[in-house]
Amino acid sequence: MTQSRKKKPYMKAVVFGIFSIASYVLLFSRLEWVTEVYTKGGIYTVLPVTTALYFSFLHGAFASNVLDILGIEAAKSKSRH
Amino acid sequence: MNKSISLILVLFLSLAIVSPALAGGGGPPKDFKKGIFTAVNPVERTAEFRESGSEKTVTLLLGQALQPDDIKVDRKVMISLAEKDGHQFVKDVSIMFMGLTLQKIIALLLIGLIGGLLSGFIGSGGAFVLTPAMMSLGAPGAVAVASNMCHKFPKAMVGAYKRFKYGQADIKLGLVMAASAIAGVQIGIKIQKFILDAWGNAGSNLYVSVVFVIVLVVVGGYVFRDSLKLSKGGSDVETTKLALYLQKVKIPPMMHFKTAGVTLSAWVTIPVGLATGMLAATIAVGGFIGVPGMIYVVGASAIVASATELIVAFIMGLWGSVQWGLSGLIDIRLTLLILAGSLFGVQLGALGTTYVKDYVVKVVMGAVMLIVAVSRGAKVPVYLRDLGWMNLDATAERMLNHVSFWALIAALLTAGLIITGAMVKGMIRVRSEERQAAAEEIATNG
Repeated sequence: MTQSRKKKPYMKAVVFGIFSIASYVLLFSRLEWVTEVYTKGGIYTVLPVTTALYFSFLHGAFASNVLDILGIEAAKSKSRH
Repeated sequence: MNKSISLILVLFLSLAIVSPALAGGGGPPKDFKKGIFTAVNPVERTAEFRESGSEKTVTLLLGQALQPDDIKVDRKVMISLAEKDGHQFVKDVSIMFMGLTLQKIIALLLIGLIGGLLSGFIGSGGAFVLTPAMMSLGAPGAVAVASNMCHKFPKAMVGAYKRFKYGQADIKLGLVMAASAIAGVQIGIKIQKFILDAWGNAGSNLYVSVVFVIVLVVVGGYVFRDSLKLSKGGSDVETTKLALYLQKVKIPPMMHFKTAGVTLSAWVTIPVGLATGMLAATIAVGGFIGVPGMIYVVGASAIVASATELIVAFIMGLWGSVQWGLSGLIDIRLTLLILAGSLFGVQLGALGTTYVKDYVVKVVMGAVMLIVAVSRGAKVPVYLRDLGWMNLDATAERMLNHVSFWALIAALLTAGLIITGAMVKGMIRVRSEERQAAAEEIATNG
């Protein structure tokens, strides 16, 4: 009997996907305010930097799960170096 | 453990002492103002300008190069001012937030995806095409650089994390490279400033292009030739004679890099980082010297070097983003649109490295560097004309600009095709090996 196939992370992809899309919609629906505040400079620098980090976690996790579902995964053999 | 702590302290100390002008070709510009025009007077060639954060409106003269029609009222703009005969006038105006159409959004997502793929695979790249692409879509140069920088560090972080998980990224080597690259940036900026003072803007542009072309042709040519040699025969990973010789230099402090599998003197590692930083300050793509430096001088494999470069890109990109953000130049819309594509691309590129042989990373890197050299080389006659050293008519200039831009797109597409092709081939091979192994297992066990 061969090893059973790994379960695909459908649920994770859906949850991260919903949060990621909702975040994009939220931000892009308030563009006038966002672009004004995010380019004030000084202490407001925190906003673009943390927003980029926030999206990299959320959207990055979504992308990772989507790739897993599509069966695009790293080779299991030990990496070559 | 103590050594690691000292290393991190050195890194952050270096971060604290660097000037705001880190990464991105010399840091954010200083001679501009942000705000909106409230009215234009075409007869007197003046405009009313209200600076961001201020309630006061000032009347500004328009420079000769500007037409009253160029002034868009009630839109956030960046202006640069100049002074002549004691009068201050507006030299240049650009709309800060370019209009986004569906085509532009799709273009940003696609360029982000392929740029990310390249980054995940060779550890750097993307910036060289993303910044000019954003500018050609309508973003002012400084906003394009800042928005690209702010997308680079989270993308590099995700790529570095993935490749660390695959056992490819050497964190210690990455930290040492980043700390010394930061010092290198300072030296690069000093050289740039000296050239700018001596020969002006055109001289500085020419210097940047010449350095770009020479480094890319020499290093890229060497990497490409090496990859072809390795693809034809024998061994997959080959340590250069130079790296082997340098590993015999035992001048303390000695450093051991576990994942890269090398022990060598700090006096060898640090200059590679310095050169990476100097190049980052000059041409904004430090990875084009950092990755070959880690391969041919430090002695790491191409896969470890490209993975480690992502750590360097993360640290330098984060600091650079803070500096550009302090000047209020990041257009978060552009950052997030590229990021949406590149977070897929970078993970694809990272996992792609687990299916290919080491030399494929070199093939992609060498090919990209050589095509990008063509792009920058096409700009050299324009700068020579600006310096008054040669004649060039407007048609020729337009043609050269087209060649320059499309060469960048060609570099990106070539890299995308090689990576995808190698990855698909590798996946098919691995799957068929797995199927064969399973069939043999069934046959053996009955």
